[in-house]
Amino acid sequence: MSEFLLEILTEELPASHVRAGLEQLKATLSVELSAAGLSEGQGIRVMGTCRRLVVLAEIVPRQKDRQEKVIGPPKAAAYKPDGTPTPAALGFAKSRGIDISQVEVYATERGEYIGFTKSAPGKPAEEILPEILARGISGLSFPKMMRWAENPFRFSRPIRNLLGLVDGRPLDFEVAGLRSSNFTLGHKIFHPDRKIQPRSFEDYRSSLGQALVVIEPDARREMIQAETQKLLEPLGAQLHPEPELLEKLTYDVEHPHAFLGSFHPDFLSLPLEVLSTALREGQHLFSVVKAGRQQPLFVGVADAPDDAKGLIRQGNERVLKARLKDADFFWQQDLKTPLGERAKGLERVVFQEKLGSYEEKAQRMKKLAVYLCDKLDVSNLKKEAILAAELCKADLLTDMVREFSSLQGRMGGLLAREQGLPKAAGRAIYEHYQPAGLEDASPASTLGAILSLADKIDSIVGALGLGIQATGSSDPFGLRRNAHGVCKVILDKKIDFSFGRFLDKALEAYGPKLERPAAEVKAAALEFFAGRLRYIFEKGGFRYDLVNAALGPGLDNIHHSSLRLNALNGLRSSPQFEPFILMAKRVNNILRDQPAGRVNHALLAEKEEQELWSVFGIVKENATPMMAKGDYGQAQKMVFRLQPALNTFFDKVLVMAEEKRIRQNRLALLQAISRLLSRIADYSQVVVEGEKAQ
Amino acid sequence: MTLQDLIMRLQKFWADQGCYLAQPYDVEVGAGTMTPDTFFRVLDRRPWRVAYVQPSRRPADGRYGDNPHRVQKHYQYQVILKPSPDDTQQMYIRSLTSLGIRLEDHDLRFDEDNWESPTIGSWGVGWQVMLDGLEITQFTYFQQAGGIDLASVPVEITYGLERLEMFLEEKGDIYDLRWSDEVSYRDLRLREEKEFSAYNFEQAGVKGLQQMFKLYEREAAALIKKGLLLPAYDLCLKCSHVFNLLDSRGAISVTERVKIISEIRALVIEVARKYAAEGASS
Repeated sequence: MSEFLLEILTEELPASHVRAGLEQLKATLSVELSAAGLSEGQGIRVMGTCRRLVVLAEIVPRQKDRQEKVIGPPKAAAYKPDGTPTPAALGFAKSRGIDISQVEVYATERGEYIGFTKSAPGKPAEEILPEILARGISGLSFPKMMRWAENPFRFSRPIRNLLGLVDGRPLDFEVAGLRSSNFTLGHKIFHPDRKIQPRSFEDYRSSLGQALVVIEPDARREMIQAETQKLLEPLGAQLHPEPELLEKLTYDVEHPHAFLGSFHPDFLSLPLEVLSTALREGQHLFSVVKAGRQQPLFVGVADAPDDAKGLIRQGNERVLKARLKDADFFWQQDLKTPLGERAKGLERVVFQEKLGSYEEKAQRMKKLAVYLCDKLDVSNLKKEAILAAELCKADLLTDMVREFSSLQGRMGGLLAREQGLPKAAGRAIYEHYQPAGLEDASPASTLGAILSLADKIDSIVGALGLGIQATGSSDPFGLRRNAHGVCKVILDKKIDFSFGRFLDKALEAYGPKLERPAAEVKAAALEFFAGRLRYIFEKGGFRYDLVNAALGPGLDNIHHSSLRLNALNGLRSSPQFEPFILMAKRVNNILRDQPAGRVNHALLAEKEEQELWSVFGIVKENATPMMAKGDYGQAQKMVFRLQPALNTFFDKVLVMAEEKRIRQNRLALLQAISRLLSRIADYSQVVVEGEKAQ
Repeated sequence: MTLQDLIMRLQKFWADQGCYLAQPYDVEVGAGTMTPDTFFRVLDRRPWRVAYVQPSRRPADGRYGDNPHRVQKHYQYQVILKPSPDDTQQMYIRSLTSLGIRLEDHDLRFDEDNWESPTIGSWGVGWQVMLDGLEITQFTYFQQAGGIDLASVPVEITYGLERLEMFLEEKGDIYDLRWSDEVSYRDLRLREEKEFSAYNFEQAGVKGLQQMFKLYEREAAALIKKGLLLPAYDLCLKCSHVFNLLDSRGAISVTERVKIISEIRALVIEVARKYAAEGASS
């Protein structure tokens, strides 16, 4: 095997772009390399820093020789009855430069043909790679792309050097007008001019290491963690965990150095949320806690070998002091204006150009929150709900949120608490942006959940009402994030209500503001949510076919879709499951394209159909209240009881009886059963192993 | 090093890189990007290198002289290199070492920060440059200006002079900076900040400003028709500044804001389009 190494050296890529670029490189190169017969698509590693995208792959140094069949005329036209070749066969051989004796007969899909096998010699990797690399690199896409100089090529940030090595030999290739070199460069500050000409990946890694570049992200992450621990252990303190910040810093530096700094303890009077946000967002610093209490300390990560003179720490402390002073000033100022007073300014804050102001949004949210209070049996909270809806966006007008937008919601909640507003309302305001994604926690309080749902559904309905959609990687209005939030809150809080009517309420609140008709928007919303739920469930590890089956009965009750799914999932390995699924499918197949009918009891002539009808009656009566309660596991087990009666029915009774009335009556019986089943799941979606291909 | 030393060193450095040293433009702007030496000169493919100090006004950033960082007028040092050279970043790093900063003792970072100015139909991709946690520069590859995709991509390097000087003097308060050995930033600017903050937030006459806006806007439109694009652009800049004043007076509603920005942008885009078309035909 040979070792293939690629390095794309760029100006500083955002951390998320490094990860996206590496993922794509891995995917496209593994496909391309195996298509070219250079690898099995295994053994590809990617790594990088903010300045480098690196691929390491095991490849074969040369493609295998390929056997290629060349097909000529049909056998029938190639040989005379006595077995001698026709002019057609001779012509074919001559045109391909072979002797007629080399011709063989091949069986193809279209019959027997003559032809011969040509062996094409494999090419060396060095010859094939340039084209693969040019295509692979120029095919990368990033959330935001740019051009530079006079080059029409687009990439995340300017590419400054390209290096490809096969067993240490530089590859000659070109991407977007940039020719590959035979070297790479070290750290831009500490070793700007050191040209490194690696002879292998090991050499590359260690030479870069000497030039203050730690190429493997895991190694950098470990360095940050180990150094941090060394700083904090003697103090008995820990980092306030910020996984996203750690991830960003791991990619933002080529050589991490963690340093400990401090700020004046007076600033500890600021709310912890404000402090940690000021540290994180302004300067990418970690907060330090001891026994759950914030310390007047921070940990920063520099792109340097050390901070021997302490200048990095001092500089950061100076900037932080000014920042915390600002934050303190904002906090004091913001406290002076009651939230209710501040909320009056919301009419001047744009929610969305065509959807109007945040004041209007607050009014709509108020209606939705009141509606939800009734649906969630917390009518006693209506007063607080109205207050929370009116005030929850007011913090957009605070200096603090203008400075640190990620504090939105939490800042309002903190102010509400300080200003002595009712606790439940303050809490709801604090929590109403939660969950920010599937990984984030739902609001802990009921009113927080209500406000969160009202806020998010209003945004989604508004956007869909203007025809704004999430497509591919573009989701400017955060539709997916909001929809995930809605689903997560409903599922976490087990909210048992009609989602369809909730959408109606949200549409009603907009009135004529939306550009698309309400029915159309509602349909679009239901379809969008079905897609998001499918995504959430599959991410949760459920089988796709069970997900489809559980979503079959519709989306009117999201909580119930999850209960249905869990019931299906729980019973899928029971011995009754597969036979039942097959039976349900059989029922559905018979009913396909049949007009709906009603069962006439008097026409049930045979014993077996009478028996089925009576079992059905009992099953239905028992299953219906179970479903209403959401106990789909029990309901599912209950309908399993139809199986023996159905079996006998299909064995003994001819559904498609000659007499029309009888036939229709039997079909109506099956329809009644099918209607009941369809309230539990769409069984036709379930894939069963014993199933015959249709 | 005083602020004026800093300016002189940057002037020398960028003149050595082939930049023409422009003088500050005399119409109020929010950023050096908006002056004609940048705005018009980036539109075509002709090579262009320019550097200049530009006082930049952002009325809503006023803090009555109470805030150690925030002011309603600050000084930018603006550099444009078109097309962007391959060694732009090293050039910039050298400019910092030419100020006597030993970067080996510090932490210099290029932190993702893309720039956009909807009012002049412009955007770019780049970074804020952080030195030991302090933002000292915006570094941007322009992609579009005046609504036009730029075939020859300029790089814009905008130093925040006060920020950089705070780093050099190790000061935490902007007013403690020294402009020269004899004159402090406080001497020069504090009264201005106080009075302009009062003007921007409290005293600016809303009615008058609204009328001014209309006048400037009409005049700009008329001048565009006559092909007097540079004066037309000046009037667009005036519209933009008056808009900012009205905004800091809290006199702009939701719908107005969107409308006004798109009105100014429409004028600016027309200026840019005509300018580019003339260039193409000459």
